[in-house]
Amino acid sequence: MSAKINPSKGKDSCEVIKSYHKQAFEYISKALRIDEDDTGEKEEAVQWYKKGIAELERGITVEITGRGDQYERAKRLQDKMVNNLTMAKDRLALLETTLASKRRSD
Amino acid sequence: STTTLTTPQNQVESLLHEMADEAGLDLNMELPQGQTGSVGASVASTEQDELSQRLAKLRDQV
Repeated sequence: MSAKINPSKGKDSCEVIKSYHKQAFEYISKALRIDEDDTGEKEEAVQWYKKGIAELERGITVEITGRGDQYERAKRLQDKMVNNLTMAKDRLALLETTLASKRRSD
Repeated sequence: STTTLTTPQNQVESLLHEMADEAGLDLNMELPQGQTGSVGASVASTEQDELSQRLAKLRDQV
């Protein structure tokens, strides 16, 4: 679990968002690597997706404090994270449905 | 294969150029700032794009 970071304490919000991004990117990349492989262990991918989604959710709630370009950059990154959050959630839902029906048929 | 033959070459190329232009534009907008972190934010942005593409690919696979 990541420590609570307060953007007002010296660190600019862009850095804070970036650190959440980094963590989310790492987790979702792992999920994707498993998920993209047809023989991959989908249960494992589900766990990584969940971790990644949690990081994205934290990242998009960070209040952007910068101005001008700094604000724009942070905002753009956050927008992309919102988009990926939706897509990752959709993917996760699909995987969970597939896994659930597989369990039923086993 | 037939798909390669029937895919219009010029359309593929213009799409590639479009993508390159978009990426270039993004970089050019951020690089002259000369601030630390601007490159990092740009990398982060690119990484998020990569995730989007891979997620979209999986979504469209069905």
